[in-house]
Amino acid sequence: MGYSEKEMRTLIRRWVPRDRVPKRIRIKDTADFFRVDYDDVVVLGDVPYLVRNNEREGRFGLEDEPKFWVKRSIDLLTGELKVLKWVFREEFHATIGDLVFECVRSPHKEARILELVRGREDFMQGTTVNDSAGNPLRILDYIRGRTLSQVTEGLGTGHEDFFYEHYPLLLDEFFGIVEAIRFLHENGEKHGDIRRDHLIKDETSGRYRWIDYDFNYRHGESRFAYDLFGLGNVLLYLTGRGDVTTQRLLRESPGLLDRLDADDVNIVFRNRVTNLRKVFPYIPESLNRVLMHFSAGARLYYETTDELLEDLGEAREDLNR
Amino acid sequence: MNEGGQQMKDRHFLIAIDDSLSSKRAVLYVADIVGGSPGFAVTLLSVIPRPEEDFFASAEEQHAWMREKTAAADRLLENYRQVLIHAGFPPDKVRIRTSVGEDKSFAETILDLRCDLSCCTIVVGRHHKSRTEEFLLGSTSSKLIHDAKNCAVWVVE
Repeated sequence: MGYSEKEMRTLIRRWVPRDRVPKRIRIKDTADFFRVDYDDVVVLGDVPYLVRNNEREGRFGLEDEPKFWVKRSIDLLTGELKVLKWVFREEFHATIGDLVFECVRSPHKEARILELVRGREDFMQGTTVNDSAGNPLRILDYIRGRTLSQVTEGLGTGHEDFFYEHYPLLLDEFFGIVEAIRFLHENGEKHGDIRRDHLIKDETSGRYRWIDYDFNYRHGESRFAYDLFGLGNVLLYLTGRGDVTTQRLLRESPGLLDRLDADDVNIVFRNRVTNLRKVFPYIPESLNRVLMHFSAGARLYYETTDELLEDLGEAREDLNR
Repeated sequence: MNEGGQQMKDRHFLIAIDDSLSSKRAVLYVADIVGGSPGFAVTLLSVIPRPEEDFFASAEEQHAWMREKTAAADRLLENYRQVLIHAGFPPDKVRIRTSVGEDKSFAETILDLRCDLSCCTIVVGRHHKSRTEEFLLGSTSSKLIHDAKNCAVWVVE
């Protein structure tokens, strides 16, 4: 379906303030995201989208890196905000601790998972259409809400207040977060990039949604170990009301730092404290045991979400006593 | 035949190998301990962990990767077969097998084949992994020890 410039201008005026309507309407080909800029229009599956800013993401220590292949856009037929994600396939090696992982960013993987999770409240939603070069371009619903870390950081007047007043509810929500990943694993899919800023609490439903599933990693014997490591890091972050680092303890409570030994820190990130009960003694032993599965001293590791959920269930019971 | 005229069943070893030194040690250990003794058979197994399709830009690239890995595995298996034959195993008692797995882990593939072939013993080399590696990648030998039923598992240092 073609749109005349006049029709397009009329559509844009419905959703954009008069002074922000572009003077010249440029309808761009969809094959190359580098040629699509702010105020351009792209037509995908007969639907015109007015392109706004590139999305940004902090990653590998670089804050707010622009993702040129991910553009916030307005669906000009409905006025809904969408995120258009062009094909950007890359293979790279990610260094985790002293290990190097072979990784890939795969648009096909994300398209596959979008189909798998259609209609679920715990996952970002979207559809996939082909761009003019035949590559899968994902049209994602924009999620209004805050990331898990933004939600957690502001809760409670101190850790103890946070732990008694807010943590039980957060732990309940964490169950839902893990159950969503269990659904992926049961269907043979990994999330691939589990971290706290890939969880957004949807303002509409009040539930966390997982986002960004286009990463994949070459696994070894344990297919989902890296996903479980990510879940462990999210749990540690929640339980500590932020990352409890050795640097922070040295600064704020050097006496506590002296009580830690080599087994009490994260198995990969050696500056993050995992034995949180030594820092916050009111944390129940059963919950701390779950955390210690992610510690440098661990002898047993979680291989499935079911194992993690089972132990967390016991911890939750203790928390509610 | 035994003295009563009945057919003796060979004790069947399954040696899972890759191109590591620990696999070489596992093969040499079996050659040293069992080689030349009657009543033993060996299947040498190479498991090729096929990456998911996401790791390939095209089906052609995936096929080329598989051809290359399969050829390398076949060469390695044949080399180790010759090692065992030189150690005294009759040539017809040393078989080789390549298995391509995507959905199953190494350990699951090995255990399935052990079951199919009714092997009495699984032999693997021990890869010396750091705790972090074992945590993030898993350990085939640990999983075999944990999950194997109705057989012995030799983990060769």
